[in-house]
Amino acid sequence: MNTRQFSIRVQSGNRCLVNAENFPVYQNEITFLFGESGIGKSIITKGLYGLLDPEDLTVTINNKPYGYHLNDNWTKQIRRNGFFVFQEPSSHLNPLLTIREQLNEGSLCDHEDKEILRYLWQTNDDPSIRKIIDIFPKPYRPSGGEKQRILLAMAFKRINAFIENPSDEQTAFVFDEPTGSLDNNYRNRFLELLFAKYSAHPFTAIIITHDYSIISEIYNRHRHLVKNIHFKELSRTTEPDVDVQDFSPQQYLSWLQTGHSQYKENFAKETTLEFSSRFSIFNRNLCIYKDELRQHPSSLVINKGDMVYLKAPSGVGKTTLAKIVMGLYHADSFKMRLAGVTANEKSPETLWQKKIWGKKAGMVFQHADESLNMQATVLETFKGLPLKSKLNTEKLKKYLQDLFDPSTLTDQFLHKKVAFLSGGQKQRLNLLRTLIQAPNLIVLDEPLNGLDFNSVKRVLELLNQKRSQGTSMLMISHNEEIFEHFVAKENIYYLSEI
Amino acid sequence: MRTDRKNTFLQSFLSSKDQLWTVIWIITIAIVGIWDLLFLNRPALEKVITGFINTFSISLLVVCFTLVLSWLITLGFHFFEQKHNHAGYVALTFFLNLLRSIPQIVGILFGYVGIAALVDKGILTGNLAVFPCLAFCMSLFIIAEVVDLMRERIEHFKKLDFYSAMRVCGISESRIVNFDILWKNSRLHIFNKLIAVFGSAVFLQCSVDFIISVGLSTDINPVSLPVTLGSLLAKIDSKQDILAIGNTLFNPSYLPNLLFQHLQGITVAFLIVFSLFCINNISNGYAERHRL
Repeated sequence: MNTRQFSIRVQSGNRCLVNAENFPVYQNEITFLFGESGIGKSIITKGLYGLLDPEDLTVTINNKPYGYHLNDNWTKQIRRNGFFVFQEPSSHLNPLLTIREQLNEGSLCDHEDKEILRYLWQTNDDPSIRKIIDIFPKPYRPSGGEKQRILLAMAFKRINAFIENPSDEQTAFVFDEPTGSLDNNYRNRFLELLFAKYSAHPFTAIIITHDYSIISEIYNRHRHLVKNIHFKELSRTTEPDVDVQDFSPQQYLSWLQTGHSQYKENFAKETTLEFSSRFSIFNRNLCIYKDELRQHPSSLVINKGDMVYLKAPSGVGKTTLAKIVMGLYHADSFKMRLAGVTANEKSPETLWQKKIWGKKAGMVFQHADESLNMQATVLETFKGLPLKSKLNTEKLKKYLQDLFDPSTLTDQFLHKKVAFLSGGQKQRLNLLRTLIQAPNLIVLDEPLNGLDFNSVKRVLELLNQKRSQGTSMLMISHNEEIFEHFVAKENIYYLSEI
Repeated sequence: MRTDRKNTFLQSFLSSKDQLWTVIWIITIAIVGIWDLLFLNRPALEKVITGFINTFSISLLVVCFTLVLSWLITLGFHFFEQKHNHAGYVALTFFLNLLRSIPQIVGILFGYVGIAALVDKGILTGNLAVFPCLAFCMSLFIIAEVVDLMRERIEHFKKLDFYSAMRVCGISESRIVNFDILWKNSRLHIFNKLIAVFGSAVFLQCSVDFIISVGLSTDINPVSLPVTLGSLLAKIDSKQDILAIGNTLFNPSYLPNLLFQHLQGITVAFLIVFSLFCINNISNGYAERHRL
């Protein structure tokens, strides 16, 4: 096995963004790179790929200025032969060229893409694919998932080119969150295609992801390739230093098996939320079911101390339902009863303002970056909350220990701007801001976004602790595997459009 | 190490155009002051100093009034909208649009007419009473753009989860708008706008003072409005000094006389033009530095 080790340091002005020693690139093998968001996974791989702007950033690789790395044969070859799939598909595509033109731009034009597109779209219907590729990309057209598949198709064209014309030159394919906008079915198709190509001719691939359930998929369906796969995790030692460690897939798999048996209900059946099975909003009629086949409509009932998991494909309306419960969207028709408060489509917003927000229910929003005040300090994030007792610095530090290591909880940390925290720290802060209030119901919209495995475990432990204190939870998450293991089967609901 | 630190400081200072232009402005004004102290006659020097101080004091007051008024109006809009108080919302919109529809110079001129009448009747006496009135009158015709900025900022944050996430936590509307949106997330934008307001106030004041002072001789001054750079520029001796610049264009040998014999008019004109130029650069530099 041929491994190249890199030390990389990236600075913006006087501020060091990331410093990693011994970052391995396993030649002709596949590396899955985990780690909480904002820790530096993308910046390190972009740096190695020669994609950082030397005008904006000071990059040192293997203790040499960036210029040496950019002119190194290895870098030149991987850029010539490889492909980098960026995290945000919308910003990758050129709005002035049709998708077909972009799929055939530059060196991509020499290779056929029909089979790849058919596979990624799971169809043999070429006209339906043509509808997507003959248009100019716009913010909402095609969808995020389609844009992501288009980028993957480009990468696979380069992989095909590499397989058809093998040479001694180096190559590397980097996929930065390639499945972030894909549902499990399309994610699995991507993995299947990647592994099929890899089996045809091995190449170097680095896949950055937060989706730990990929591990189960690999162990269930691609176990024969495990010997060629490395699972690595980036973790923060002391800021800005990060450490690249082996991630044990067994640790994840055995943790999954512990499941919801960890939690035992102690409460009598007292209903916290009852939401009508049918509701309509934005001229769409939606229905809640308790069976996966979606045949028997059922009211959404959350009892005291229960966690209910709401499942539906992307875009159906899970977040919309959560926002109706929280009074942020005005539905055309619905009925609900939340901890003794009855509401329907005629209820005024003041009902939520006076009786529900911060008292009966709270919500953790999907994007911590958007829902926290980036310019406020950690301490200020908790100011203004309607708490029963006054929160001083010591109390806050003690409370933050639920999800933060005590060693990081210095006064300096409390006075740090939220904007300067890593993505994972922001997400944990986002959760704690709502959990501190202990309302009857907490709506959690993708609470595991951007968290590393340790944080995921700690968050689930904390949620269980809150449940044991009587807090009910409505969970919305694309981490189906985790919540199918952690939520009792009778508490899984399905949402569909009628 | 020390030299490195000095170099870094100098580099960052030179790259911050707003700080650089603030220093250039202050140093140039100090040099002009020293020159005038040496070569300008005492009565003219006193007038120039008074005019300069009055102009910039009134402009600073304009900035303060604009900030307070626009903040209050913005809050008014927000809470009327929040409480579905259509009458209040429409009344405030009408008031703001009325102010917006009147050309700034015309509005301020009418305001000055009113203030002049009050001064004339002896109701307003002394700079302490007149300055705030002049500043308030001017700020009324400037607030619209600051209100627009503040409302845009609030609207922007209302579209994000930020606003909803705070509300569902039970944080008060007043804290979200005042502290989280306007103070924490918009103060740089507001401050940048206030720099521009300061420039507008200097310009409008000089223009209006010039307009109302044209034609009045140095002896006949029916209303005792404070001396400002604009009113000084309108005096006959300043005008002659300005005309001397035209003369110099065709007789370059006359140039040295400008710096010794025509100092009052040249100083006043230079202070107005150079200050506006610097304020513009400071505002642009500030926006650039903070990526607004």
